[in-house]
Amino acid sequence: MLPSGVFNRNPQQDMAIVRTKTQWLLLAAGVVFLFTMVLWVPMDWKSWLITTGIYVVAVLGLHITTGLCGQFAMGHAGFMAVGGYTTAVLVEKLGWSPWITLPLSGLTAGLIGLVFGIPALRIKGFYLVMATIAAQFVILFAIKQPSWAGQGYGMRVAQVTVGGSALSQVQFWWLALAIVLAAVFFAKNIQRTSPGRQMIAVRDNDLAAEVMGINLFRTKLLAFFLGCFYAGIAGWLMAHNVRYVHPEMFSFALSLSMLGMVIVGGLGSTSGAVLGAVAMSLVQKLVEYMTPQVGKVLPSAYATSVGPALQLIVFGLVVMAFLLIEPRGIHHRVEKIKLYYRLRPFSY
Amino acid sequence: MANVLVQGLLIGGVYGLLALGFVLVFKSSQVMNMAYGWMICILCYILFQIMVPWGIPAVAAVLLLMVAGAVISVLVERLAVRPLMGQSFLAILMMTLMLGTVIHGVIVLLWPGRIWNIPFRPQGMWAIGSIKISPDAAIAFLVALVVFLVLVLVFRYTKVGLSMRVVAADHEVAQSLGIRVNRIFSISWATSGAFAAICGVLLGMVFSIDVSLGDVALGKGLTILLVGGMTSIPGALVGGLLIGASESLGAYWVGALREIVPWLFMLFILLIRPQGLFGQKRIERI
Repeated sequence: MLPSGVFNRNPQQDMAIVRTKTQWLLLAAGVVFLFTMVLWVPMDWKSWLITTGIYVVAVLGLHITTGLCGQFAMGHAGFMAVGGYTTAVLVEKLGWSPWITLPLSGLTAGLIGLVFGIPALRIKGFYLVMATIAAQFVILFAIKQPSWAGQGYGMRVAQVTVGGSALSQVQFWWLALAIVLAAVFFAKNIQRTSPGRQMIAVRDNDLAAEVMGINLFRTKLLAFFLGCFYAGIAGWLMAHNVRYVHPEMFSFALSLSMLGMVIVGGLGSTSGAVLGAVAMSLVQKLVEYMTPQVGKVLPSAYATSVGPALQLIVFGLVVMAFLLIEPRGIHHRVEKIKLYYRLRPFSY
Repeated sequence: MANVLVQGLLIGGVYGLLALGFVLVFKSSQVMNMAYGWMICILCYILFQIMVPWGIPAVAAVLLLMVAGAVISVLVERLAVRPLMGQSFLAILMMTLMLGTVIHGVIVLLWPGRIWNIPFRPQGMWAIGSIKISPDAAIAFLVALVVFLVLVLVFRYTKVGLSMRVVAADHEVAQSLGIRVNRIFSISWATSGAFAAICGVLLGMVFSIDVSLGDVALGKGLTILLVGGMTSIPGALVGGLLIGASESLGAYWVGALREIVPWLFMLFILLIRPQGLFGQKRIERI
């Protein structure tokens, strides 16, 4: 809703995401801030920034499959594993450049996503949830088998290089941020195109959508492909960030936590997906700071397990609180606050 | 070969019982309790706590455990699931999943890295003809079978069982017949919690108790559920036997196949018969 006295004079204005000069300025300032903040934040926050960027990319993929098209994908970490292992094998065993494997990681993950997306035409709801969980376990099983992929012991992955020199952590954040921005741009715009609107129609009522002439099979498969493509890209980032791939990195717990991020941010909105990923990874960081304090209170027998245990407990409780109090996520709450200030001093 | 098959079928009985815990809750309240695996796991650790540090004898400990399971389960229903009734399917699913995560965290916090074998598991091997079976699996299978029979009788002949079946068929009809639907929810959740305790003990007899048991139990329970059909009690038993036998045979050929065979089997069933072997086909209207 626009403030009083402001009108959209043509369709372009109505469609625009960034409408005013102030917004362009703020956007530019925000991007510059994101690019430069890595130079002054403490050491441990640099790796936090990169990890958060990876989460954002992966969660955006989940947003397309689950938020836009309504197809629950609970095996998202499995598709990240496909991306990560694709680049690991191609770079390490065949000596390809990481820059070539970047799109290839996404494509392989997307194609494997298509295979697991095919049942989505016949099954829905809980059955689809189970099929995607099965995808997670089947993929993790498959990558543990061949000897050229480390057989469950994992593989080393080379660093990304530019002109012969390896990227430092700061430079890797710039690369990650560029990918994140491209991912946000694409995800924001896909829901304004015809396929994106078809996905939303399928989410709201797939039978009605089919009756309207939407090709269900194509739309659902496109949603799976795009979501898994994002996951593959996130897997590529993860592999080259950690410089190692291991099946444990892409566990079912990671799939769950990404689904939690989408819920916390708000299902079905791009900014919600980004907000959710950032918020939950902030929570993880805060728990890290909290751990020593909590460890002091508890008896010393529990000292070793406090960290991982608190991560699980706090994450679960936060998502549960959101489900109970604000099921539509942070995004919805932010919109409500924005609306309040836009209309002030009137209530509507 | 025959040894492996029989052993698989015996474990399959326990799996069937596991799936029954899901079916009971799903039939009455249409909620898939994804925290069930972790509830079983924490009950195993509670059994450890009351038997080893507190020194309560085995029979009393198992009875206490069933009560604890029922109480935990009812609390879960009251505090976490009931406020979300009527909301989207994903919300309830996420709620129970996150509850499982919290329980997982509690286990990691209180019993870090502990692995425990239930002390009253029998040793040695029994031989029936030429087939050798391990006694713990056989006892577990018999217990599971008895529980199944009791449940079938309860559903057929008692008032509580009959009203549970009415609630499963239609909430509104049940209400107009004077059945308190909320109370039936509580009863079915409590029964499912007591089942979780029994399953925990039986699984602990067959495997050893460690923190991965939660995910294992959830994985087995869910795959069986889909193979057998989500609302069918005989389906849970048949599905359990099928999954138990197929995973034992898979492991017999290639050791690593054990963990993946149930999922592949489930995917296969989903593709050819999405509603499961004994499930009802869903008819949808716009």
